[in-house]
Amino acid sequence: MIINGIIRFAYWINGSYRYRVIKTFFTNLLTNSDYPYKRYLDGVMIFLILTSVGILIYEVQHPIPEWMDIYDLYVVSVIFLIEYLLRLWVYNDLHKMIIRDYEQARFLSKKFSFVAIVKKIVLTKIEYISSPLALIDLLAILPAYRPFRILRIFVLFRVFKLLRYTKSINQFVEVLSHKRFELFTLLFLLLFIVTSAGIAIYVFEERTNDNINSLFDALYWALVTISTVGYGDISPVTSEGRVVSMLIIVSGLTMISFMTSVIVSAFSEKLGELKENRFIEETNKNEEFLIICGYGQMAKMFLRQNKQHNYKYVVVDKDKKRIEDALKEGHKAIHEDASRHDTIAKFNIKYANITLLCLTESDIENIYITLNAKSLSKKIKVIAWVVDTKMKKKYELAGVDHLLLPSNIANMMLLTAINQPVMYYGIHAILAGEDAAHIDEVNVINYSRLIGKVIQEIEFKERKLLLLGIQRGEHGSFIFNPKSDTVLEEHDILLLMGLDISIEHFKEQYEGSLI
Amino acid sequence: MKSNIFLFGYGRLGHTIVEVLKDTSFHFQVIESSSSRYDQAQENGYDTIYLDITKDEELEMLAVKAEDYLICVMDDEHLNVFLILSLRALFPKTTILAISTSIHATQKMKMAGATKVIDLYQVSANRIHNILKKPVATKLLDDFLIREDGISFKEIVIPVHSYLVGKLVNNIDFQQHGVIVIGFINMSYSRKFIFITSGLNHQLNPGDMIVCIGEYEKLKAFEQYIKRSQK
Repeated sequence: MIINGIIRFAYWINGSYRYRVIKTFFTNLLTNSDYPYKRYLDGVMIFLILTSVGILIYEVQHPIPEWMDIYDLYVVSVIFLIEYLLRLWVYNDLHKMIIRDYEQARFLSKKFSFVAIVKKIVLTKIEYISSPLALIDLLAILPAYRPFRILRIFVLFRVFKLLRYTKSINQFVEVLSHKRFELFTLLFLLLFIVTSAGIAIYVFEERTNDNINSLFDALYWALVTISTVGYGDISPVTSEGRVVSMLIIVSGLTMISFMTSVIVSAFSEKLGELKENRFIEETNKNEEFLIICGYGQMAKMFLRQNKQHNYKYVVVDKDKKRIEDALKEGHKAIHEDASRHDTIAKFNIKYANITLLCLTESDIENIYITLNAKSLSKKIKVIAWVVDTKMKKKYELAGVDHLLLPSNIANMMLLTAINQPVMYYGIHAILAGEDAAHIDEVNVINYSRLIGKVIQEIEFKERKLLLLGIQRGEHGSFIFNPKSDTVLEEHDILLLMGLDISIEHFKEQYEGSLI
Repeated sequence: MKSNIFLFGYGRLGHTIVEVLKDTSFHFQVIESSSSRYDQAQENGYDTIYLDITKDEELEMLAVKAEDYLICVMDDEHLNVFLILSLRALFPKTTILAISTSIHATQKMKMAGATKVIDLYQVSANRIHNILKKPVATKLLDDFLIREDGISFKEIVIPVHSYLVGKLVNNIDFQQHGVIVIGFINMSYSRKFIFITSGLNHQLNPGDMIVCIGEYEKLKAFEQYIKRSQK
C-alpha cells in the first residue's frame, strides 16, 4: 500500500514540470559555473565564510556581542545546512531510480523489492556524503553545536569551503594532482626516513637525552630536522645520534629540492593551459562574444578594425606559432583545434550569444568548424569566410548564417568602379561606414518614445537624416522607403543614414522614458 | 568611343572577374604571361593576348587609350605591383584598378600608381563588423550589390529643361516617386560626390548628377519623369 503510494508519487514527480524547473534551477545555481546567477551565490557564500572566520579570530581576545554569536550560530550555520541539503538533493534523481527499478521489475515480471531500492538510494547518497568536498561541507556546519567548544576549530573547515567558491585554489590542487604519483612517492620516502631515523634516535638516546622521553618526541625531532627547520629544542647528545642527524639532514636536503622541482615542473607544464582556461573564463563572463577561428590575415585585419568597435573575442588556432604571434599582439588566444567538440563546449554555449568567425584558409576546415559548432548548439551564429566560391553551396548546407565571399564583393566593386564610377565612392563610403554615409540601426524598443509615432512627425529631413527603411520585427518584412504616414511599432528597426552626430543626436532625443 | 577593359592575370581572382565581365557590354581582353593559363583562357573562349608583362616594349604594343580600364590581378603579388608601376609609367592617364590580397600590398599598389585598390581583407573585415553591428543595413546593401530585391543605385543627370533645375535639393519631395536621393554631384563646382545627409544644400543646375536608390522600375520611371519641364 505504502509502496504503491511511493511509486505513484515518483511518477507524479517525474511528470511534474514545475519540479523539474525548480531542480534545474538549483542544480545550475550550485554546480554550473556558466550559470549567470551562480556568481551571486558564490559571493554570498564567500562573505559568510569570511565573516565566520573573522568572528572566530576576534573571539580569541575579546568577548563577542550577542548578535555576532547569533549570526555565526544560526544564520551562517543554517544557510550552510540548507546548502548541504540542497547539494545532497540535486546530486541525483531518486524518483528516476525508483521508476527504473519498478519498470524493470514489471518487465521481467519480478517482484518489486522496495528494500533493494532503498538500499541503492542510501548507497548513492552515501557516495556523495563521503566525497571530500561534501565532508568539508558537513564539518563546516558542526561548529553550530555549542556544548563542545573544541568544535569551534571546525570553523576552519569553513575556510576549506572556499575551495568550492574560488577557482584559483581548485586549479592549484588540480595541477598538483597531476603529479600525484611523484608526490606520493616522495611522501612515502619521507615517512620511511622519518620513522627509521626517529626509531634510531629513540634507541640511541632515550636514556641519555633528557629531551627525548617517548617515541613521539623522537619522531617529532626527526621531522623537524629533515625539513631543515631545526628548532633546536631537541638535539642529539651522543655521537651515534649526531651521525643519524647528519644522515637525515643530507637526505632532507635532497628531498626538498626534489619536491620543489616536482611542483615547479607541474606548474610550468600546466601554465599555458591555466592561462587559456583563464581566457575562456573571462570570455564566458560576457553576454555576447566572438570566437575567431584561425589567426591569419583575415583575422588580423578584423582585429585591427575591432579596436574601434570593441567586441569581446577570443582567438582559437591549432598552429602554435600563430597563437604565439597573437599573444604577442595582445590578443586573447588559445592553442586548440576549433573543429573539436571539446574546444567549443568549453564556452558558455547555453547562456551567452556566441558568434563564431571561421577565418581559416581552408574551406574544409571552415566547414568542419561550422558543423561542429552547429551540432553543439543551433544558437551559435556562424560567419564563415569562403576561400573557394564553388564551395558556397556546401557552406549553406552546413548551416552558416552569413557567408563572406570576398572575391564576389571585390568583383562587384570592380564593376561599379567601371560602370558607375561616381557610385564607387558612394558604395565604398557606405561599406566602410565613412563620415556622412554612416548607416545605423535604431531599435524602436530602446527608444520607447518613438512607438506609435507617424514618420512624418519625426521630421527626419530637418534632422539631416535619411530614413532608408524599416525592418518589422526580427524576421519580419523590410519596408524600403516607407510612406510618410507609416506608424512606428514596438519591434521595428529603423535604418537611418547620416552623419554620426546627427544619429547620436536623434538617439539622445528619443532615448528612455515616456515623457 | 567605348572603353575597353584589359584584364592582367587569369589566375584565382582573374577567373571570377571574367565571369562577371562577360555579362556586361564591355569589350575585354585577358592578358597572360604563362602559356598554360593562356591556353586555358583561350579554351574558355576569351579574347586573350600572350605577352611577357615584365617587358615594357610588349606592354606598349597594347592599344590602351586614356578612357580604358586596366585591371591588375596577377596571382604573384610582387609581379602585380611591378605591373602597376610599368603600366602607370606607360599610360599615365588610364584608370588602373587592382585587387589586393594582403594587408601590406594595398599601400604599395597605391604608391605604384593604381587608381583604385580594393583590399579583399579590409572589405571582408568591414563586412563582418557590419553583420555584427548592423544586420538590417547589411542585408539592404547586399541587395544593392546583388540586385536581387530590385532595389539598386542609379546616377541620374539633370536634363536642361527639367523642372528640377533651379530647385534646392533638400526642398524637393521625392517620396511620391518611391525613390530616395542619397546624394548629388555639383558638376560646375567641386565635382565631388556629396551625401545629402552632410547638411549642404544645393541649387540644381543642368548637368548636375543626383544619385538615387529605389526599385529598378521606379528609378527608370523617375528618370523619365524629371525630364519634364513642368511638375
